[in-house]
Amino acid sequence: MISNVTEISKDQLLSEAQKMSGQGYRFVTASCVDLGEDKLNVIYHFDKNTELTNFRIAVKRGEEVPSISATYLCAVLVENEMKELFGLNVTNIAIDYGGHFLLTPEALKNPQSKITIVQKGDN
Amino acid sequence: MNNKTTIPFGPQHPVLPEPLHLKLVMEDEKVVEATPAIGYVHRGLEKLAEVKDFNQNVFLVERICGICSVMHAQCYVQGIEAMMNIEIPERAKYLRVIWAELHRIHSHMLWLGLLADAFGFESLFMQCWRDREKIMDIMEETAGARVVISINAVGGTRRDLTSEQMAKIVRVVDEIAADMKVLEGALLNDYTVKHRLVGIGTLTKEEAYALGAVGPMARASGVAQDLRTMGYAAYKDLDFQMVVEKDGDSWARTAVRFKEVLECIRLIKAAISKIPAGAEYCVPVKGNPTGEVISRVEQPRGEVLYYIKGNGTKNLDRLRVRTPTFANIPTLLKMIPGSHLADVPVLLLTIDPCISCTER
Amino acid sequence: MFDFLGNVLKNVVSKPATRMYPAEKRQPMKNTRGALGEIDINTCIFCGLCARRCPSNAISVSKTDRSWELNRLKCVICNVCVEVCPVKCLHMDEAHLAGLFTREKVRRIGPAKPAPAKKAE
Repeated sequence: MISNVTEISKDQLLSEAQKMSGQGYRFVTASCVDLGEDKLNVIYHFDKNTELTNFRIAVKRGEEVPSISATYLCAVLVENEMKELFGLNVTNIAIDYGGHFLLTPEALKNPQSKITIVQKGDN
Repeated sequence: MNNKTTIPFGPQHPVLPEPLHLKLVMEDEKVVEATPAIGYVHRGLEKLAEVKDFNQNVFLVERICGICSVMHAQCYVQGIEAMMNIEIPERAKYLRVIWAELHRIHSHMLWLGLLADAFGFESLFMQCWRDREKIMDIMEETAGARVVISINAVGGTRRDLTSEQMAKIVRVVDEIAADMKVLEGALLNDYTVKHRLVGIGTLTKEEAYALGAVGPMARASGVAQDLRTMGYAAYKDLDFQMVVEKDGDSWARTAVRFKEVLECIRLIKAAISKIPAGAEYCVPVKGNPTGEVISRVEQPRGEVLYYIKGNGTKNLDRLRVRTPTFANIPTLLKMIPGSHLADVPVLLLTIDPCISCTER
Repeated sequence: MFDFLGNVLKNVVSKPATRMYPAEKRQPMKNTRGALGEIDINTCIFCGLCARRCPSNAISVSKTDRSWELNRLKCVICNVCVEVCPVKCLHMDEAHLAGLFTREKVRRIGPAKPAPAKKAE
């Protein structure tokens, strides 16, 4: 039971991040959940004096999500990771590793998304 | 005329306990730019956690890192217990605190030894680790293993502590406190050591907060945040005092970790004296976790955040782990440019890098 | 200048700080989790609880073949199988394994199931 989650749209994301920074909140991290059928939920966690505030956005894989690294430089690592492991299309990251942050070139694409295994037919 | 050369630092380096790659752009002896690159020990543990059931995940999660392993398990079981509304016995909360603080002492002593080794003071490294051996022997006697002790379970702990064991723990931590007084001269007040640490890699309070630094990194710059003040497990009854320094350089980080060891010793003795008598240390668990929860715990390196989502079956929907070194790596982008090449190993070690935690 | 001499003399006459291994081996402590010991296969009822609870899937049990198999290289020595066994046929040894030379699994076959006694008419 997370307390304090606000649902916002991805267009409000940058303005909410600016507001949080102005009020003195620290960026903790962002969590990405794959809900199946190419739907992703991203939750951004902010903290001030050990009180957490969370924002959730719902996007489809491939939709562009703006990066908050202009306000919070520490978000570069987690946005690169979400881009590589889930296929979340984050644009304008301050330091963009271009898909080579964690995975090697031979690895499976988007390994943490919901993978279904289809049996090959006998004939 | 500017001579810029690019030097690869790592991934294998004698000072690093785990592989981390830094691309350093140098102008003669000064570093101008530093870009970290990780990915050498990515194991995909978050994905594996979706395949195992929520009880087996306790063993998976404590193997994310060997040095902070008990607190990973503690954060996970605290999250699952919050999701399933399980109330654990009071004695189990105190037992968890005792083992967590013992683990914190061992982690900080390991770091103090590695720091001494980073600037070549190998005999001090051996002295710190000799004291650390006493803690490892206690873990083996009380919990059954030296490093990954598997003592937390959903519902409480798996073993209890007898009064002889608790008396022995108090004796050993008192010996360690006496040894730390001797080590203080070499680690904090020595003339040559101070030359390598004072004024190197300074982070101001605003920079540390804006970059999202956690744990001793933030506390050494004056940011007073420590999750143990939230009062999870038994910390609310133990009168916990935060250790904060103002200068923000490598010496301040060493001093914070050194004084935290003494604070841990005081917490262990307070927990042992206040532990409620009783035989119950674990309650049975029925049902499966549903919903989502965020659980946070203070590890030796800082704040760890677990986001757990369950869907009513034995397997979890999502387990997301944000470890403290992940939050401390952006501070490298600020600290390393402007320093000399010879200072880069020491600076890298002061963030207490645990790369296997970062990459899971 | 000569105050290190006291230290040198102390080091010369005192005994070494480390153990003289392999002449003197370290004794394991009580209740240490060293390695999974030998199963008492005659008591085992092949319920499969140990296989289901094992976090690393190191045990496989077959009720039809009356067999219990352990892959020592996968076992993380967590002690869950010993704790959940309903008939307590597993135990944990204190000494760690010296080293394995093959990838062979430990396989034990239990006695055949006795035929159920027919109720006297």
